[in-house]
Amino acid sequence: MNSNIFIIVIASAIFYGTPLFFAALGGIFTERSGVLNLGVEGTMLIGGVMGAWTCLHVGGSAWFTITASILMGALAGGLVSTLLAFLCITLKTNQTVAGLSITIFAGTVGLSSYLANIWKVSKQPVPRPIRNLDVFGLSDTPIVGPILFHQTALTYVSWVLAILATIYLFHTRIGLQLRAVGESPQTADAMGINVVKYRYIHTIFGGMLAGVGGVFYSLAIVPLWVDGMTKGAGWIAIALVIFGFWRPSLALLGAYLFGALQSLGSTLKARNVQISGDLLDALPFFMTIVVLVLVSSRFAHRKLGAPAALGVPYEREER
Amino acid sequence: MTSEIAVKMTGIVKKFPGVVANDHVNLEIMAGEVHALLGENGAGKSTLSNILTGLYRQDAGMIEIGGKKVEFNSPRDALNAGIGMVHQHFRLVSTFTVAENVVLGESDSSLFMDHKAVAARVQELSDRYGLAVDPSARIWQLSVGEQQRVEILKVLYRGARILILDEPTAVLTPIETTELFKTLRVMVSEGRVVIFISHKLDEVMAVSDRVTVLRGGRTVGTVNTRETSTTDLASLMVGRSVEFNRVVRQTPAHREKTVLDVRDLCAADDRGRVALESVSLSVSPGEIVGIAGVAGNGQRELAEVISGMRPMTSGSITVDGESIQSGRARSAIAKGIAHVPEDRLHTGLASNHSVEDNFALKNYRAMSRFRILQRQKIRDQSTHLIEHYDIKTPGSDTPVRLLSGGNVQKVLLAREFSASPKVLIAASPTRGLDVGAIETVRERLVQAADSGVGVLLISEDLDEILSLADRILVMYEGRIVAEVEAAQADRARIGLTMGGITA
Amino acid sequence: MRSLVRLERRLEQPKWLNWVVPLASLVAALILGALVLWITGKNPFDVYQRIFERGFAGKRAFSGALEMATPLAFTGLCAAVAFRMGLVNIGGEGQFYMGAVGASYVGISLGGSPTGITIILMCLGGMVFGSVYAAIVGVLRARFNTNEIITSLMMNYLAAIFLNYLIFNSKSFWRDPDSPQFPKGKTLNARADWNTYSIFGVNLPIAFLIAILAGSVVWVLYKRTRFGFEVGVLADSPKAARYAGIRTTSTIVIVMALSGALAGLGGAADVGNFRGLLDAKGIQMAGYGYTGIVVAALARRNPLVTVVVAIFIGGLTKAGYALQGPDFPSGLVGTLQGLILFTAVAGEILIKYRVRTTPRHSEVVA
Repeated sequence: MNSNIFIIVIASAIFYGTPLFFAALGGIFTERSGVLNLGVEGTMLIGGVMGAWTCLHVGGSAWFTITASILMGALAGGLVSTLLAFLCITLKTNQTVAGLSITIFAGTVGLSSYLANIWKVSKQPVPRPIRNLDVFGLSDTPIVGPILFHQTALTYVSWVLAILATIYLFHTRIGLQLRAVGESPQTADAMGINVVKYRYIHTIFGGMLAGVGGVFYSLAIVPLWVDGMTKGAGWIAIALVIFGFWRPSLALLGAYLFGALQSLGSTLKARNVQISGDLLDALPFFMTIVVLVLVSSRFAHRKLGAPAALGVPYEREER
Repeated sequence: MTSEIAVKMTGIVKKFPGVVANDHVNLEIMAGEVHALLGENGAGKSTLSNILTGLYRQDAGMIEIGGKKVEFNSPRDALNAGIGMVHQHFRLVSTFTVAENVVLGESDSSLFMDHKAVAARVQELSDRYGLAVDPSARIWQLSVGEQQRVEILKVLYRGARILILDEPTAVLTPIETTELFKTLRVMVSEGRVVIFISHKLDEVMAVSDRVTVLRGGRTVGTVNTRETSTTDLASLMVGRSVEFNRVVRQTPAHREKTVLDVRDLCAADDRGRVALESVSLSVSPGEIVGIAGVAGNGQRELAEVISGMRPMTSGSITVDGESIQSGRARSAIAKGIAHVPEDRLHTGLASNHSVEDNFALKNYRAMSRFRILQRQKIRDQSTHLIEHYDIKTPGSDTPVRLLSGGNVQKVLLAREFSASPKVLIAASPTRGLDVGAIETVRERLVQAADSGVGVLLISEDLDEILSLADRILVMYEGRIVAEVEAAQADRARIGLTMGGITA
Repeated sequence: MRSLVRLERRLEQPKWLNWVVPLASLVAALILGALVLWITGKNPFDVYQRIFERGFAGKRAFSGALEMATPLAFTGLCAAVAFRMGLVNIGGEGQFYMGAVGASYVGISLGGSPTGITIILMCLGGMVFGSVYAAIVGVLRARFNTNEIITSLMMNYLAAIFLNYLIFNSKSFWRDPDSPQFPKGKTLNARADWNTYSIFGVNLPIAFLIAILAGSVVWVLYKRTRFGFEVGVLADSPKAARYAGIRTTSTIVIVMALSGALAGLGGAADVGNFRGLLDAKGIQMAGYGYTGIVVAALARRNPLVTVVVAIFIGGLTKAGYALQGPDFPSGLVGTLQGLILFTAVAGEILIKYRVRTTPRHSEVVA
């Protein structure tokens, strides 16, 4: 029963979707404040390599090591996105180019690879990978067991985060002010809200979540560090923010859909289903384009809730 | 009226790149008065009020509130000192509800909002000051007048004692204006202070207790409203005596002919909603037809559809019997439609491009051979137009954005007029210009009409339309609701129809 | 207290800033890079000296720089052409692959044609493949307003998968049937090998000359033609373009296609002038498309400067490959390039704004 292919696909969709969701949720926070972060891919990679490094070097119990690795990934992601925040918010540079430069700087052939090489993290299996838990001993329960009770701790954390983020964004005062900053910084500024502070905090926090997403790759999915291992997940996460209409709940669903597409290949191959691996590999990228086309007419964009000031540096009008 | 000084600004200096916006400005406002800040565009009114609201920081000078010296480092400081501003361009989040906009930025540390309490408080305020608006409505659903009420409510909700209103009547119908004045009176009767920024003399006379006039970034003087007159104020404002007269036309219009004919025109706005509902109108050669109406009633869309920038959903447009292709600006240009759009710097001109490139913006195809631009031709055209239209620019290759407002408009007019058009669509052609430039622009429009061009003048300034147009159409909610000959026009009547009331 | 330093928009941009700022960015990047090296326990002077020796000093090193500069000049032009119009085409990578596919198809097919014709037809093949691939992104952007950044990037991944399929997972026309164990591309006919000239001992690939030509053509196109004028207005203000009757949609598609054609030309050069076969692994490893973005940004989108900057970045990249080893880890050159991009982006701000300090406290001036 539990080996039913659909259940396996769903369970692994959640597994593979978890890092996508972390990165997408980070993107939601960042973009809600009006900053476009195209550096997600690079941020994830830095998070991933720092997480792997921590896991290799910090002893102690499994829980301690893994928590430390995750925190280190978040810290690294936060640092990288502080750089982005400085470029986009303080220097008011073109946000697209700034994000791209983050990805090139930190990305596959950049800093993440450099650090992995000098610190000898590359291709070293991590001693304490993030494993799927057996929650309440229910992982063997038919159908729901593998889906709900046999996931990683980070997955459960992500579910809590999804709920908290929804409350934060749509039901609290700070959330209201954050959305105002992304919709109309002029208004927010005139009402005494510190636009710069809101943007900095949410850009950095968004980067921290992306960093955690990266750690999931190097500690759970593979689990060892390989240069450029996220293979475009950061970019898919950016698309997921749009696809999820800037809402955590929808982004979660979207992440699992793309998680399913990513895991389909290995799942089917393990079951000896004959299908071209290349075609399956291409599926997430192809679907991203399709989904983007569907939701991106200018009219739909506004209706779906894109922050009106997204990507626009704020400066008080000087006449 | 007590004689207590509520606000005192002394020696305020604010410089921007290339200009001194405020040059040692002094302002003294008493408690319980409506104090008008009068001046032309660019006189420094907005800068001064932005300093008072903490949005800008003065380079020099001192602010005292209620006798105490204050330092504002952010809008929050000013709000805490009881100063609130209703901006000319509303500071509202259009996807939020009225209540959400009102509580925004409130320094309340509670995590969640008490929606009920907020709504009740908003309701109470709106009852007390006659500012009817539904607290749960979303901003984009409201009319411009209602949005302004939200702006005022916002400021009152924060407990502001000093309210600054920047050109508040620009977006209102005459009736709404009267209502606003009543609200302002209620507020000052409670001891609040209203600073009313305007360049409209009649309104300043009607609502204020005292007037401070600014000119070229300096304080010219402060007078009691009762002891002054519109003519006195006008000469203070401009620095010389001015008379506003109906412009005299040299040649009458050829009313028997039609140059522009618009039939049953329908079109949508940017959000896809109906903006024009079977609009029909015609313009004769040499005639100036004025379109009056409050902003946002389809005027912009009308101008854009006629000039081919926006597709029509149905209907037809013809120039001299030849029809214009829907949404094809090139077709409209070829048929002889000139267009002076409202947004001069970003629609009518490519502002980072040079003056000469902007002159060639519509005829660059003719200025090329084998698809290669003929730079010399473009330069020659520019030299000619700069001289002919008396444009003040450092050079032909200076980016347009560096020119003054009046010269920017001259560049635009020069290009449009020099194409010898049959029809000219002019949308708010004098908005934001100083008196001298306004006169020049108006003269040019009349000259164009005298030479046989059919002019469609779209303006929110009813006085401008009354002084220039031969015939006046009133637009309301995407329709033409009234048509009068200028000679028989009754200002009050037109004002009513602008608000949707057809007598 | 408000910050003491603020940015003030410049009214006029002095011309000297246009070259001083990029140079200053470069210096700043080298300083930041030195910091990274120093923190990670390397001697920055030593590293920089070796990069200089292997990347630029001497005939051999400079030949290598030119070889590496050639594909980068094309991908740099690809990015610059799109940037000029405010389009961000980061699909140069994928368009480069597609160009290589198209050019190698032509190169393999044309066995007996004279060299000159082969070169021209290979260039055309690369351009057609690259431009069609990029035009898809342009059409999506123009018709559906789909964000070209993400779509062009997704197309890179798709192109990479396609490339792998052609060489590793199929028996395609491009794959060498004689080497079933070690999958690789078919070697091109000797006539399809492009010339490399030796000038004072420096190897000058013909493709680099083509890059200079392409840069000049783009320069003339944007500076002197009607089309260039239209692109300029569109980049300045889309509304003004609509007002003037400039066709936005077709211009977007054409610019994207042009951008893709340039990347495709780079792919053709890669196959014809350097590798002599469709090297699926090699060209993915090189990542010319992404580095091209750095080149274009540093050149401030000027097509002629792009070609020059390509030599510099090319030398840097070449040195990175040559030195790669235990004490010169891969990723170092990429990090440096990323830093250069950062400082170039930040430098752009210095051209637009002036940094001003405001007095802490404003005194009353009577």
